[in-house]
Amino acid sequence: MDGPMTGMSTLRIAWRNLGRNRKRSSLALVAIALGQFVFLGIAALMHGYLGDFHESITGPMVGHAQVHAPGWRDDRSMDLTIDGVSAVIEEIRGDPSVTNVAARIYAPVLTALTEEGFMSFVVGVDPAAESHESGLLPSFDVSTIGDGRVVVGYNFAEKYGIETGAELALVGQDIDGSIASGLFTVEGIVASPVDIVNSLGVVMSLDDATEMLAMNDQAHEIVIHTADIETINETVARLRGLPALNGLEVLPWREIVPTMIVMIEMVDVFLYIVLMIVFIAAAAGIANTMLMSTFERKHEFGMLLSLGCGPGSLARMVTVEAVILGLLGVALGTAFGLGLVAVTSHTGMDYSALGGAGQDTYEASFRGLNLSSLVYPKLFVSDVLAGVVAVFLTSLLSVLWPVVKIVRMEPMEAMRL
Amino acid sequence: MRTTRCRTALRPGVLPLVAPVVLVVLLLAPAIGRENTAHCTDVATVSNTVASGAEDAVDAETVSDPGAPDADDLLGRYDDLYDSSGTVATVEIVITTPKKTRTMEMRFWAKGEEKALMVVDAPARDAGTATLKVDKNLWNYLPKISRTIRVPPSMMMGAWMGSDLTNDDIVRDSSYRDDYEAEYVVWSDEPEGWKVRMKANEEAVGLWNAVEMVFAEDDGLPLMAQFYDRKDRLSRTMTFDEVEMVGDRRIPMHIVIVPEREEGRSTEFRYIEVEFDVNVPDDTFSLSRLERMN
Amino acid sequence: MRAPLIGKYAVRTLGRNVRRTFLSVVGIGVGVAIAVFMTAFMKGSTQMRVRAIAQSGFGHVMVAHSDWDVSRDNDLRLADWRAELKAVRAFDGVKVATPHARTTALLAFGTRVAGVEMLGVDPKSEVASSRLPLAVTEGRYLESGDSDVAVVGSTIVDRLDVELDDDLLVTVVDADGEMEYAMLRIVGIIDTGSKDMDGSICHVMLQDVERLTKLPGAGEISVTLDEPLKMDSIVPRLKEVVSPSDDVLTWMQVVPAQGGDYQSDKGFMNMLSGTVIIVVILGIAGAQLTAILERRREFAVLIALGMRSSQVVRLILFEAVALAVLGAALGLLLAWWPVHYTSTAGFNFSSVLGEELSMSGVLLEPIIYSVPGPWVFGHAFIIALVSTLIAAVYPAIYALRTDPTSALSLREA
Repeated sequence: MDGPMTGMSTLRIAWRNLGRNRKRSSLALVAIALGQFVFLGIAALMHGYLGDFHESITGPMVGHAQVHAPGWRDDRSMDLTIDGVSAVIEEIRGDPSVTNVAARIYAPVLTALTEEGFMSFVVGVDPAAESHESGLLPSFDVSTIGDGRVVVGYNFAEKYGIETGAELALVGQDIDGSIASGLFTVEGIVASPVDIVNSLGVVMSLDDATEMLAMNDQAHEIVIHTADIETINETVARLRGLPALNGLEVLPWREIVPTMIVMIEMVDVFLYIVLMIVFIAAAAGIANTMLMSTFERKHEFGMLLSLGCGPGSLARMVTVEAVILGLLGVALGTAFGLGLVAVTSHTGMDYSALGGAGQDTYEASFRGLNLSSLVYPKLFVSDVLAGVVAVFLTSLLSVLWPVVKIVRMEPMEAMRL
Repeated sequence: MRTTRCRTALRPGVLPLVAPVVLVVLLLAPAIGRENTAHCTDVATVSNTVASGAEDAVDAETVSDPGAPDADDLLGRYDDLYDSSGTVATVEIVITTPKKTRTMEMRFWAKGEEKALMVVDAPARDAGTATLKVDKNLWNYLPKISRTIRVPPSMMMGAWMGSDLTNDDIVRDSSYRDDYEAEYVVWSDEPEGWKVRMKANEEAVGLWNAVEMVFAEDDGLPLMAQFYDRKDRLSRTMTFDEVEMVGDRRIPMHIVIVPEREEGRSTEFRYIEVEFDVNVPDDTFSLSRLERMN
Repeated sequence: MRAPLIGKYAVRTLGRNVRRTFLSVVGIGVGVAIAVFMTAFMKGSTQMRVRAIAQSGFGHVMVAHSDWDVSRDNDLRLADWRAELKAVRAFDGVKVATPHARTTALLAFGTRVAGVEMLGVDPKSEVASSRLPLAVTEGRYLESGDSDVAVVGSTIVDRLDVELDDDLLVTVVDADGEMEYAMLRIVGIIDTGSKDMDGSICHVMLQDVERLTKLPGAGEISVTLDEPLKMDSIVPRLKEVVSPSDDVLTWMQVVPAQGGDYQSDKGFMNMLSGTVIIVVILGIAGAQLTAILERRREFAVLIALGMRSSQVVRLILFEAVALAVLGAALGLLLAWWPVHYTSTAGFNFSSVLGEELSMSGVLLEPIIYSVPGPWVFGHAFIIALVSTLIAAVYPAIYALRTDPTSALSLREA
């Protein structure tokens, strides 16, 4: 028998119940909201981290995709160049997903401070294009190189006693096979995330390299970064179709450093596992709280039952309460989650404080290179939906057991303290 | 059967012509004046008989033709061809690649095996660039930046790509005397002359499994040399022509090297002027001289 | 009531409310299990990176000449390498120690040349230390007793246009500045899938490098540890067994760029672990708080009956501790199997990633091994305790301030 409870009023009664016991309701609400918030937060961090990880593992040397003259990768022959490179770069920039394009020139040279020559190689770069975060010279002052000014790798400088202000003589072979030589001033000593630049590299501007090596609008390599590394294959396919790139080799990072594929895919899977664990932890918390709170209302239920409220209606009421809590909690959690992502997605979240002991070690050995420990959270609609559904269901399911018990309850027993 | 063990085909005298223009450091050509002594130790004679105690005579070609000159003799004369206590020369080098052709002109001086100086005259871009070798040291002078740089030994063997010469040719302080054995001498139709086939010994440390040289019938001058790699594939061919009288000897003034499996590539050397056995003063080979050579 | 009685009362309360106690303990247990597993698994993931670096030839630590770190000169040699190798191998905690000698060399065949950095190894210990020998696709890797042979990368083979069993002419500049020549027969070809890597691989016997360079012995000893996590404490002790002119470097000093990434990783993983722990704590605390809230009247009654507030607080705390202990114990029990399994067999990603990655995966074992340790006990208990204590704070304060009569009112059902 139904007694005083009917359809619409079930909702009102449920609502009033929740309101009457604010502390209990808020606890449950917080548990649910927290679950959703953490789920979304972690998902966002995960996406941000994976992108960052991708960058660091492929390294600034590799980028997301590269363009070369066919055959250059086999023996790095100086004369296998990308011709008309500025036009090629222009066309690549036109692609919507491309964020950074940088041309590079590589040439082995003999470098001498005094009379003694030592083996090294020239890296001709466009400083503006390489100073972005994933570039060869992150956070680099672009005005440092150019017009005869170069920077050298810090290992290289230490080994040969090269200091800022020193004059270096460089000798090599130009693109025609003639002798290429030049005098350059060391403007600075740089730590690059790329080891070989540190130990053998003399970094100069693309223009200086072009002039010394008798090149003309040519380069050996173009390194491309895109907005979304996950869709790189599509981007590469589009780039291959561009007229200026006809005859050139365009490769995604996977083909350049295939050994890294495993590592990245592993981290991808791993992060999903982590997300699952986070969800389970949150769900456990929600379930625990809901179960506990529902069971603690035993005597309240007993009283209602003895007052004539049918077990079915009671069960319905409890369920509706859970539904309300679930929806509100999820909404709250989503709002906070989106808020967090919105606030941090531009500035990034700094987790370096959690790097653990030995933080100084790597800073020091990096000679002051400011390595990014920032992650830029990113959230997809699918994440939000997944969270909403999963968390909501969890809160609902966690009242299942109590509801079942309620239906079978003995009012007198329930009323005992 | 008498087998002659002689030094291999590439004689020092040829080296001046061979200036790998890859890295300036490698313009160390001439020098390498190595010990020219033709150390031919007699072991056995190449006989005409088929039944030779020699290694497997599988095909009929492994015996010398009747009336063929002595391999020892031919190779010995080749040894002496560019032999000189002091050389002064002007050479032209042409390097052809599928993309372009480069011509260089340079003057060089060499004394014995330890000293050499080379100065580039053409093309204008590189004019004045000089290389000095004294014993094991190598310096380059770059006029464009007015600097002298000493080349570290590790670079002397690097980056020979682009040149049709091997590191083996240029820098190898060869004691090939023990490394090859003349197998037979037969008549060759193309080019016309006597072909000597030399095989590298089992224990030999080198690039070639065998070398075949063809000498002209009349004056015994080399016409062609073919080098076979360790898999016995023809790896490159050297041809000699434009014979002229220089001092008291007749020598081919023009040498062309063509690698076998690279399309459209060749390296050519030509003596424009040369004098052998010149008494080149020691002070020619000095750093200050190097810097003044312009 | 006095202390022991509080205890008895607490126990009886817990016993009487079976379901509540059950939910509490299980809730705590599950939360703790998740947290413990997560932390152990996370540690395993950062260790995976260290393992990958170690197995690609660097080892965990490296013994090298003291000047090496700065100059990176591959002509430097260790002082008394044989004695050092022996001492290092005998060192407790060292799994494998393998010597290396490097030299720049030029490989040539016919008219083709290729410059490489030749690595002289001791095959037996090299195979135990690095996964690179597993990447041999043709022929075999080096073996003890070999001489004048080489294992080269596939890119070099292509560049020189050679194949297995061909003889390469190698040129090396020795210690005196003279050129040394030798023939090396190719006995194995390595293909890692990466063109760059395969273009720089040339492994020969240590003795061959010695002979060619006229530099005696090894330039470095790569050391793989039993317990990489103990690296920082092992390094100073290891320094004592090597000669004074040599130094012991960690892999982070050898490849600092990787070191930076590693620290970065660790920081992020710590953050993730931390989040899970916080979620667990809050979840447990929430449930406990819910339970305790309902008992306000119970506490009020106790106070009305004469119990002092401080005693009520002690009661609450006692219950919290009791639940924490039980919950932590349950948690450890629940976590035992998953942690044990993942620490021995490991979590193998290849089942998830598919077979096609087995080729490029040869250099990296796609397995994460959890890293449990004695810390789990403390970890479990602290998490449990913190959670229950947080939940105890509110009611404790309430108990301290409560006015018995208002508490007994039926206003709040």
